[in-house]
Order: sequence, then C-alpha cells, then structure tokens
Amino acid sequence: MRRHARELGVTAVLLAILATLALVAPAFYQTAPLRSLLAREAPTLVVACGMALVIIGRQIDISVGSQFSVCSVAAGLLAAAGWPTALAVAAAVAIGALWGAINGALVAGLGLPSIVVTLATMVTLRQGLNLARQGEFVNLPDQVQWLGLSQTAGQTLILLVAGAVLVGLAWALRSLAAGRHIYAVGSDAEAARLAGLRPRRVTFAVFLLLGALTGLAAAMNLIQSPQVQPLVGSGLELKVIAAVVIGGVAISGGRGQLWGVLAGLLLLAVISPALTHLRIEAYWEKAIQGAIILLAVVTEGLRRRAGGKGAG
Amino acid sequence: MPRRLLPVLSAFLGLALAASAADSRLVVALMPKAKGNAYFISVKAGAERAAKELGVDLLFDGPADTDAAKQNEIVENWITLGVDVIAVAAENKEGIATALRKAQRQGIKVLTYDADTLPDARSFFVNQATPAGIGNRLMDEGARLCAGQGEFAIITATLTAGNQREWMKYIQARLAEKYPGMKLVAVRPCDDLKDRAQSEATALMSAYPNLKLIMAICSPAVPGAAEAVKQAGKVGQVKVTGLGLPNENQRYVKEGVTGAVILWNTDHLGYLTAYAAVAVARDELKPGAKTFHAGALGDFQVVGDNILLGQPFVFTKENIDQFNF
Amino acid sequence: MRRAGEFLRGALRRHEVLLLLVLVVEWGLFYHYGTTVNRRGVVVGFGTLDRQFDVLRHSCEIGLLALALTPVILTAGIDLSVGSLLGLCAVVFGQLWHDAGLPVGAAAGLTLVAGALGGAVNAGLVAGLRLPPLIVTLGTYSLFRGLAEALTRGAVTYTDFPAGFLFLGQERWLGLPTQAWVFLVAAAAIGVLVHRTVTGRAFRVLGFAPEGARYAGLAVGRTLAIAYVLAGTVAAAAALIYTARIGQAKADAGTGYELYAITAVVLGGTSIFGGRGSVPGTLLGVAAIAVLKNGLATIPAVIRLNAAEEMAGLLTGALLLLALALGALGQAGKVEG
Repeated sequence: MRRHARELGVTAVLLAILATLALVAPAFYQTAPLRSLLAREAPTLVVACGMALVIIGRQIDISVGSQFSVCSVAAGLLAAAGWPTALAVAAAVAIGALWGAINGALVAGLGLPSIVVTLATMVTLRQGLNLARQGEFVNLPDQVQWLGLSQTAGQTLILLVAGAVLVGLAWALRSLAAGRHIYAVGSDAEAARLAGLRPRRVTFAVFLLLGALTGLAAAMNLIQSPQVQPLVGSGLELKVIAAVVIGGVAISGGRGQLWGVLAGLLLLAVISPALTHLRIEAYWEKAIQGAIILLAVVTEGLRRRAGGKGAG
Repeated sequence: MPRRLLPVLSAFLGLALAASAADSRLVVALMPKAKGNAYFISVKAGAERAAKELGVDLLFDGPADTDAAKQNEIVENWITLGVDVIAVAAENKEGIATALRKAQRQGIKVLTYDADTLPDARSFFVNQATPAGIGNRLMDEGARLCAGQGEFAIITATLTAGNQREWMKYIQARLAEKYPGMKLVAVRPCDDLKDRAQSEATALMSAYPNLKLIMAICSPAVPGAAEAVKQAGKVGQVKVTGLGLPNENQRYVKEGVTGAVILWNTDHLGYLTAYAAVAVARDELKPGAKTFHAGALGDFQVVGDNILLGQPFVFTKENIDQFNF
Repeated sequence: MRRAGEFLRGALRRHEVLLLLVLVVEWGLFYHYGTTVNRRGVVVGFGTLDRQFDVLRHSCEIGLLALALTPVILTAGIDLSVGSLLGLCAVVFGQLWHDAGLPVGAAAGLTLVAGALGGAVNAGLVAGLRLPPLIVTLGTYSLFRGLAEALTRGAVTYTDFPAGFLFLGQERWLGLPTQAWVFLVAAAAIGVLVHRTVTGRAFRVLGFAPEGARYAGLAVGRTLAIAYVLAGTVAAAAALIYTARIGQAKADAGTGYELYAITAVVLGGTSIFGGRGSVPGTLLGVAAIAVLKNGLATIPAVIRLNAAEEMAGLLTGALLLLALALGALGQAGKVEG
C-alpha cells in the first residue's frame, strides 16, 4: 500500500472531484461531451506516457510542446499538399522521432544535462516555427478529419490508441527487461552500468520513444479538427510534466507507475471543465491548479515525514 | 566608451552618409500587438502595399505573443534606429505611452492604430472602430442570432488581455441596456489557442444545457468554438459569433455553424495606417484636418485626432467568399 | 578534494573567459553592422550610448531573476516560480499603493516582504518537507500567477504611479539608468554572499554532495531556505523595477521570464546539477543574451526580415548547446588526461 501512496493520493483527489461533480453537476456525465473531453486529452496522455519513461530514467524533456507544434504543422502541410493521411501521420511520428533522437544524442552521447539541452531545443524549435509560419493556420483537406470515419468512430479510435499506448507501455515497464532497465538506470546509472546495462543506450531510447510518441500525439490531435494553429502545443510541456509528477513519478528517477500518470493527467484535465460545471469563475483556475499540484506533493512529504526515513 | 568612439565612427561613415542621402527614403515603423497573429499579418499586407505605392521603407516588428514590456523595448530600439514615424497598436494604453513620449521628444512622429495610447503620446489614432462600437456590434449581432433570448457565454484570449477586457465592458453595458432577455453565464479564457477554445466550448455546452450562443472575442477562439458546436451536433441550437478573420472561419460560416463573424477590413486598416503615418511624417496631415485621402481607398473622415476607418464589417454566408485575409 | 576544487575553479574561469570572448565578438559585430547613419545624417543603431543604456534597462529584471536563481541552482535546486512571483508582487505593489493608499516607499517595502513570503513558501516545501524543487516550484508557478489573476480578477491594471517612483525605471541617476544601480548593488551583494561567505560555500557543498553536507553537520534546511527566500525577495525587487519601467502593474507581468533567467544562469556556466558556478558567470550570461537580443534588432538585414526575436531565440539556443558541449568536452578531456 505505502509504496503507492502518491498514486493513491492523486486518485483519491480525482475521485473526490468526480464525486462532487456527480452530486452537484451531474450534467458533467453526458456521454458525448465526456467522450469529446477524453478524446481531446488523449494526445496529452500519449505524450505523458513517454515523458514518464524519460523521468523514470532520471531525465526530463521540456521541448515536447515545441516538438508537438512542429509535428502538427509539418503533418498538416503534407496533408494539405495532397499526401494521404496515413503518410502524413507516419511523417509526424518520424519527425517526432527525429527530434527525440537529437535530444537523446545530445543527452546520452555528450552527457549533457537534459533540462538544459531540451530548453535549448524548445526555444530553437518554437522560434524556427514562428519564423517559418508567422502564426498562419494550416487548412486541412476534408478527409483528414476523423480519418474519414464518423466522429464517434474517430474519437473511439483515438481513445483506443491512447489506451493501447498506456497499457502497452505499462506492461513493458513491468514485464520486459528493457522496462526494468529504465528503472535501474533512473535509480542509479553507475550501479546499472556495473551490472552490465548500458545506461546511455537506455537514455537515448527513452528520448527517441518520447519523440515518436509526441509525433503520434500530434497526429491524434490533428485529425480532430480541420485546421492547425502553429501555436498548438505551447505550454504542453508543463501540463505533461505536472501530470507525470503529481501522478507519483519521482523526479529524481527510478520510481513511478503509468496508472498514476493517468490519474495525474485526468486530475489536471478535469479541473477546467469542473470549474465550468461548478460555475466557479475562471480567474481562480490557475491558483486552484497550483494548489492541487502542491496538495498532491505535500501530502506525500508529510506522510514521509510522519513515517520517519522513507525511501527518499 | 561608446561616446568616445562615436566621432571616429561618424567620420568612417562619412562616405556612407553621402551615398545613403541619395536614396534617403522615409522609414515607417509599424508595430502589431503580436506579430504571429493572422489579424496583424493582414494589417501588414495592407501596409506593405501602401509603402510600395508611397516609396517608403516599412519596418514591421512586434512581440511574438502580446507583451506590453516587449512593445516598449521595440519602440526604444526604433528610437535608436532613428526611424521617421512609428505607428503602434498598443497592448497597454498607459504602458506604451512612456516609450512613445520618448520617441516624440527625439523628433519622431507617432501614431497609433487598432488600440490607442494616451492622447498626448501620439498625434493621430487610426480608429478602426471604437471599443464601444465593437462591443455594441458583437452584442447586437449575438442578440440577433438568438432573437434576444437565452443564455450566452464568452470565450476570451486571456483574462488579462487589454482589448478583450475593454470590449467585454461594452458588451455587458449593451446587454444591461438593451437585452433583458439575455444572460451572460460564463467567461472562459483560451490562451489564444484554438484547440483550448474548442475544449472550453464543449464544456460550456454540457454545463449550460440552455446555452444559446457562444461569443468568441479573440480570433483563434471563433473557429475553435465553431468546431466544438459542430462536433456536439448542436448546429443551429447553439449559435457562434465573434471577432475573427474570414479565412479562418469561412468553412464554418458557409456550413451555417457560425452565424456571423465581425471584423473591420484589416487589410484596409494597414493601408490607411501606413498612408496616415507617411502624411504625418511629411507634415501633410495636421491637427484640424477634416478628411484624409489615402491612395486607392479614397477619403476618410477625421474627427478630432481620430482617423476613422468606418464601421466594423459583418461577414456572413453571403459575402465571406469575397474576402481573402 | 582541494585539487578537485582547483580544477573546477580553473574550468570555471575558462568558461567565463570564453563567454567574455563571445560577448566581445557579439558587441563588436553589432557595433560594426548595427550602427548606421539615417537620412537626417544622425548616427543611429547599436553604437549609440542610448542603445547601450537600453540594453542595460531591458536586461535588469531578467538579470535580477538570474542573480536570484544562481544560489538556488548552485544548491542543485531550481525555481520555476520567479516569473510568476514577479507578476504577483507587481500586483501586490499596485494594490498596496493604489487600493490601500500607502505611500510608495512603504508599499515597495511591503512588496519586498511579500516576495520574501512567496520565497518562504517554496523554502518551506523544499527545505522543510524535502520535496523536489522542480515540482514544488511548478506548483507555485501556477499558484502565484493564479493569485495575481484572482487578486485583480485579471482585469485591474495599476497605473499613474508618481514620478518619483517612475524615476527608478525610466530615468538616469549618476549617468546610468537608475535601475542599473539596483542591479549592480544586488549583483555585488549576491556575489559576496556566494563567493565570500560560509553560506555561499554551503550552497555549493549542498549541490556537490547533499548527503556529505548533511553528515558534515551543515544546516541543510537553513541553507536551502536562505536560497529560496532570497530568490523571492529579489523577484519582488525585479517586480518593482518592471513596474517602474513600464509604468503599470498587471497580473501578466514577467510571464515567461523564468526561462530567460535560467538560460542566462546556465549559459553563465552554472551547472544545472548544482555545486559549480559563479555570479560573474551569470552576469556574463545575462549580458551575452541581452546584447544578442538587442543587437540583432539593430542590424538592417535582420530588421528587413522582421525576425530579430526569432533569430535571437535560435542563436541563444545554439549558444547554449555550444557552451554545454564545449564544457562537456573540456571536462571529459580533463578527467581522462
């Protein structure tokens, strides 16, 4: 039980909000808007899963928002230029993987601190995109939206993809050697090396994977509307990192569960519509969001304090 | 140290000076609130056309996102570049005035367009529509779409955005004065993100089942709200209106999701601003003028120190095809 | 241990020399390409004294935040909330002066206290509860900005400050922009604190070897608390200067400044893992970015492209990577050799 205290704490806060909504604003639980809400958050979940692996491996990537924008705009332009949607989606994944590989190479290859490397790539990508697009929307051909399916089918497909990514990665983390290597490297890279692992390879791999997942997420977002705004994805990095850490992944690496990340993301995602449903005015939103993040981490800090020396 | 180097430098540049005097063109510096915004890209297109016709150099620079401090920094840069005339769309009325007064003290002519500063910090304001005009028009158009009855919500840029706050004030005043049957139930920010506006609109529609209208008062929010209404299958039941660009909204207006989009002709705004700036710099436009002639667009009315572009325009299914900006 | 210390000091000195070189090259290039004569025969652009003062003025707030962050990062911490705290303090100052009717001086003093309190929230969570600074300050990043918006309902903008206060941000005193003096005093004070006091050494020890520091009997909590409370106080000072420069206090003041400040600190050679770094390095980092940003905006070709901000961003990113890579290579060579 105690090992999962943070995950359980976050889930409890989430359930409390959901229960409040059920009592006070049952209108929140209508199928179509709820499916819409979840489909709109699904890309963020995919990025958050990738980010969780990176953070479990004791690194961080703050360039995902910029990567997301670049992948979205590039895939959008390709689709607008007449590429089949499937190829545009593949291109988004490939471009994301490329940026992930660049981050990974700089961090793993040169041994540079990931927060600074990705700070630099974040600024570079965002400014490059500003320079290239000047904020202009990309209009997509009609068949891109929902991949030509019905809206309900499209949204369901997006949810299934996100679910598959979540379940697949959670399983891999727990059951595959590669997954356990990420924990090992995140807990103690030197020990992992002495045990015969290759920490640099693991680090490179998690960045590559995060990049590819960011590209996939961009595609999952792209097919939900007929236009791409280049600003899309700005601020995504903070939301994703917040979801991961309040979901119980230790920022110091080596610990965390993807179901906690799911709970963390749902918690963050539900705040804004919950305030709308509870008729709370918008200018409290950021303060409440900050307070909930702090609440989630403070409870754990207090628990650790009460329990004496914890795992740290 | 720089001071000591200056005479040397000036001597060095003596030749360049003679050369540059030959093709000395007037330099007009035009500042948007945010340069990546489609609205201001269209303003820029109009201004560039005017600059070409007038044979002047046009600088166009502004913050990437709306940022009052950054606007001051760019004006200060233009002062040291020694431009001839500056035209600014002020993000913050009082904030920018400091920098603009400094420019005036250095002999640079200053105008504002789109959003004004304090009157003493500029000579003319190219007024595309007063905040009152916009607020009233939005409220009137919204009320028309839902026959003056029902709940409505506003999606704004950020809670701190200057223009939007001003417009909301007039929307609420108009509401209180003329439309007792309507009720503003929520104001939500979208951070100028289309996708976030879509999510906000979705939540609004499920939280307020009687919602009749979404009024989006920043340009990315209009297509975002329209897409949400479309996806919720509430076309016709929930109307959308707002301030937006024809190109971004064309498909929704034609599909009947968005009832009407309101905007002045931003391309003309840029064109008129550039013409007015050059005229002020050449001392051709002086206080007291009653009309002003701007190239191909003809005569514009001048009231006090405001050059009026005319009424905001309502784009509907019938006319939206004729515009490309 | 001592040899390690000497080696590190050497590497550090090298980094600063390198950065100084970059700064001189930047300055020279902009002086050459960014200074022109306009059609009225006046020398304009980067080479003017006015422009140099502008660079100074524009970099004071971010410079102060970078100074504030240096001790925090030395302890292997981070503070993402300084930009938001700047916004909150600006609003608090506006309310104290305008709504509560306090004299400007008293309002400014209380604003500094408010900043210290904001820093104390971070300090309590980081030092008291031993929570990871990244998450804590991610939370207060939202919280402080949110409070600023809630206090003003997003809508109130405070203006019409008395001339005596605006003097701080818009005029010159003893030849320099007034706020430059505040910045210099802050730089000197934090420089002394970091490099000449026991506390300063404690910052670095904490970043180097947190466990060792604890066993060596270092007051870990107190040292961390000093770093975060100081950061909050300096952020409040930056808020006052910001308000005086723009002439308005509003809830969005300082949005995104934390990233510029962190960039400057890291470019200045302070290791993001803590333990290594210096205040002069930070000052050079601030200067390198400020000159780049303001200098590019004076080059005719860049002006014609309307791309000064984007190019400055791109080049800052590149410069940061280059500095890091050089540092890493230099260190690797040193360790092996």
